[in-house]
Amino acid sequence: MAEILSNAVILSRLQFAITAIFHMLWPVLTTGMAIYLVIVEGLWLKTKNISYYHHARFWSKLYVLNFGLGVASGLPMAFQFGLNWAPFSEAVGDFFGTVLGFEGTMAFMLEASFLGIMLFGWERVPPLIHWLSTILVAFGANLSTFWILSANSWLQTPSGGEFINGKFVVQNYFAAIASPFMVNSFSHMFLATLETSLFVIGGISAWYIFQDRHKEFFAKSLQIVLIMALFVAPLQIFVGHLSAEQVYHYQPAKLAAMEAQWETIPAGSSAAWSVLAAPNNQLEKNEWEVKLPGLLSYLLELKPTLTEPVLGLKHWQRQDRPQMVGLIYYSFRIMIAIGLYFLGLMLVSVVEWLRGKLTDRKWLMVGWVIAAPLGYIAVECGWIVRCVGRQPWLVYGKMRTVEAASHLPVGEILFSLTGLTVMYVIFFGAALLFGSKIIRKGPDLELPAPQMGKVKFVPDSRPAEA
Amino acid sequence: MEPLQPLQEFLPQVWFFILGLFLFLYVLLDGFDLGVGILSLTASSEERRSILMTSLGNVWDANETWLVLMGGALFGAFPLAYATILNALYIPAVIMVVGLILRAVSFEFRENAKNKLVWNVAFGVGSFLAALGQGFALGTVFEGIKVDEAGHFAGGVWDWLTWRSVLVALTLIQAYVLVGSTYLILKTTGDLQETHYKTATIATWTTLIGAIFITVSTPALSEQAREHLFNPPLLYIFGIIPLGGLLLIYLLLRSLQKREEVTPIVWTFLLFALSFIGLGFVIFPNIIPPSVTIYEAAAAPSSLVFMLTFVGFLIPILLAYNVYNYIVFRGKIVAAEH
Repeated sequence: MAEILSNAVILSRLQFAITAIFHMLWPVLTTGMAIYLVIVEGLWLKTKNISYYHHARFWSKLYVLNFGLGVASGLPMAFQFGLNWAPFSEAVGDFFGTVLGFEGTMAFMLEASFLGIMLFGWERVPPLIHWLSTILVAFGANLSTFWILSANSWLQTPSGGEFINGKFVVQNYFAAIASPFMVNSFSHMFLATLETSLFVIGGISAWYIFQDRHKEFFAKSLQIVLIMALFVAPLQIFVGHLSAEQVYHYQPAKLAAMEAQWETIPAGSSAAWSVLAAPNNQLEKNEWEVKLPGLLSYLLELKPTLTEPVLGLKHWQRQDRPQMVGLIYYSFRIMIAIGLYFLGLMLVSVVEWLRGKLTDRKWLMVGWVIAAPLGYIAVECGWIVRCVGRQPWLVYGKMRTVEAASHLPVGEILFSLTGLTVMYVIFFGAALLFGSKIIRKGPDLELPAPQMGKVKFVPDSRPAEA
Repeated sequence: MEPLQPLQEFLPQVWFFILGLFLFLYVLLDGFDLGVGILSLTASSEERRSILMTSLGNVWDANETWLVLMGGALFGAFPLAYATILNALYIPAVIMVVGLILRAVSFEFRENAKNKLVWNVAFGVGSFLAALGQGFALGTVFEGIKVDEAGHFAGGVWDWLTWRSVLVALTLIQAYVLVGSTYLILKTTGDLQETHYKTATIATWTTLIGAIFITVSTPALSEQAREHLFNPPLLYIFGIIPLGGLLLIYLLLRSLQKREEVTPIVWTFLLFALSFIGLGFVIFPNIIPPSVTIYEAAAAPSSLVFMLTFVGFLIPILLAYNVYNYIVFRGKIVAAEH
């Protein structure tokens, strides 16, 4: 403990991890939910069925709570690179700073400006302009995902230039933006935010259906969710699989940690997939493990035997491979389990829907309520695999995390680390409290459709007291 | 290399200007936002406070985003400055970030809370802390940051805390309260508006006193500033800016006296613009005063061009839809019928 508290690099890493883990909880929902809001508002405009309007209004209450927290918790992320990772910022700023600058100018501002109209502009702009605002908010949020994943993918598979005297000199910006991991990583994250949001919306809807409250109303959202999940859940597993294959080729040490594979499996042999294990980093072996024979060779190459070896962790020196093997190994497995749970839940629900029994199955509704928080856990686990598995590198193979950290006095980092952690924990609790309050209160089904001109441009239509 | 020379000077200058523009818009727009936040601590009833918060509901996020844009642009265009300045300003930056987080979450939590007191206080205190952190940051950059030959921060943890940075911080808070008051004059009616005519008048005087201290002590204390400012062409500018400032203050006080609704915020904006131009001239061509210039801290020309292609194209669009947002929500805020 004393060792951690006196090590500036570990403290800076801890601060980044804590801020990122907490921050992730909020945009992951708003990014995906924005797409859902675009759909229900579009359905309202097309069918003129007021119920869709009530959906838009109800879910956007949850949306705005999460959005505010996302903005707030994201601020330290924007400054942390300079505050705690000054040598990194200076070395790769030409590219990395450019991408973060793009995120701000292209995505954040778009989302922030049209959010006001989306939330409060119902009676101030014509319906089509309002819908366009919702679309722009959704577009901005997902564009943000794109730039963040582009930046992070470059950390994983740096391309488009060279490190000269420790400074990254860009030769081709487009190649750097489209680094080898980018397409799969962005797709995986895009689907992750959507899938998490879908199962949150589905879970909340199921909670109402289970209690026989507003059953008809929430059957609608559950059905929309189910139609979308029909595509998203299987596609996510496929894209996740492609991502893992890329890790096998580009970051073999990470793959070895994900599989807790200490010894190299030579080409020509069959590789087993480990289901459970107790990795011991000190002894460089698993104390025990449960394996499915042959599965890893199928997963990686669709063949009974490997054509290329799977390198084990011991292939690298200790200082050149990730240390927290158990964390990476289990995070990876939890993520897979959740992805499969979503797929199974979706399939069973579709079958019940076809039989006309979707909302009558209490046990199925319980299954959906359980699913609500799982997307978050899967996303966090995925990022742990991605970024803890990248260690000891900050820029894979080019710049070590240790070299990238600012030489800050420990007291300074402890000051910010403690302050931020305490705040985040309080806000997390408060967000749960207020979120559940909104959910318990339920939708306002009496709300009349918005009328342009009913409230003139002069007084504000928002209630002063919410 | 010869033909590249003008480009290598021109590009960092363009980016210095863009950063200045982002920072200016931030100070102006989040300035009134934070000012209203600080003023909300003095609101005499929950209804009044609600009107104050409502006046910010559709804009606070976009206003705050100018800061994120500024951070991103600084990171991309002047990576060395981004790293060194934030390193030097660790504690003020954390104070600011904590303040901004507090006010953002309070905004949302207050809407849903039964007991609003905690979140009301958190909102006001958060606004105050954000302004305070920014004031210290501005004061420190103005004062100068100690660096080694490579341009890395070489000072101490508490370098940012001097009587001059305290002075700048206090003045900036006054200025935010001033612009916040004039925004509320524009957006409210009746008693509430009258209250803010009064707060605006008080804040004009306190801002003026702070500004005079800063203006006089800058050349009096720093030899470098003296050399920089008391030679042409800056001599003329340094002469004109305080005079223009005094004229604007006179106009502002008169418009407050006459109970005009729109002109106070216009004069205040112009006052901000004038101070900002003055600040720009004092700092230019440095990006990390007193010794690192924009040319030394700039990213590679190719990087500056690449960013400029996209960001330059986007700036008018950003401005256009921000203006549209204000147009949609124009007009006075009145209390809800109960």
